[in-house]
Amino acid sequence: MKLTSLVLAVFLVGCATPVPVSQRFPDVPKALVERCESLKKIEGDKVAITEMLKVVVQNYGMYYECAAKVDGWNDWYQEQKRIYESVK
Amino acid sequence: MSQIAWMIGLIPDAVLSGLYWAIIAAGITGVLAGWLGKWVPFYGNYVKILQPVGIVLLVLGVWLRGGYDTEMAWRAKVAEAEARVAAAEQKSQETNTVIEQKIVEKTKVIKGKTEYITQYLDREVVKKEEIIKYIEQCPVPKEIIDIHNQAADLNKAAGGPKK
Repeated sequence: MKLTSLVLAVFLVGCATPVPVSQRFPDVPKALVERCESLKKIEGDKVAITEMLKVVVQNYGMYYECAAKVDGWNDWYQEQKRIYESVK
Repeated sequence: MSQIAWMIGLIPDAVLSGLYWAIIAAGITGVLAGWLGKWVPFYGNYVKILQPVGIVLLVLGVWLRGGYDTEMAWRAKVAEAEARVAAAEQKSQETNTVIEQKIVEKTKVIKGKTEYITQYLDREVVKKEEIIKYIEQCPVPKEIIDIHNQAADLNKAAGGPKK
C-alpha cells in the first residue's frame, strides 16, 4: 500500500506546474495625485474691479492647473492600458 | 506532493535529464535482451523477468522524460512572461516619468502666466488714468462679489472636498 502511494505520488509530480508570474499595478505619478485647489473668493465688501479681476485670473489659472492633471490622468490611463495589453 | 516536487527540484536539471535517458536506455535494453534472450541457451530463464522489467522501465522513462520536457517548456514560457512583465514595468515607469514631467512643465507655465498677468495688472493697468477713475467711482457692488463667491463654492454644493 505504501509502495503504491509512493509510486502514485511520483507519477502525479508531473501535474504540479505552478505559473508564478503576476503583473504589478502601475504606480501613478505624484503630480497626478495632488488634489485640485478650491477656487479663491473675493474678500471684503468694497472691492475695486482690479482686485476682483485678480481673483478671477487666479481662478482661471487654478482651473487650467487642474485641467492639466485631468489630461495627465487620461494620458496615464491610455498609456498604461496600452502597455498592459502589450504584455498579454 | 509539493514536498516530492520540491525534492526533485533540488536535483540539477542536467542530472535529471541524464537519469531519465538512462531509465529509457535500461528499458530498451531490457526489452531487447528479453526478445533476443529466447535464442540464447541458458539465458532464456531470465527472459520472463527481463522483458516485463524492461517494459516498465521504458514506460516510466518515457513518462518521466515527457514530464521533464513539459516542465522545461513551462519554465521557458514563465521566463518569457517574466521578461515581458519586467519590460512592461520598466516602460510603465518611463511613461510615468514622461507624464509627470509634462504635468510639471504645464503647471509651471500656467503658474508663470497667471503670475505675469497679475503683475501686469498691478504694474501697468492700475496706473492708467481711466482705470484709476473707474476704480474710484465704481466699487464692485457686494451682490456681485457674493454671486462670484457662491460660484466659487459650487463644488461644496455638489459634495466636493471641503478645504
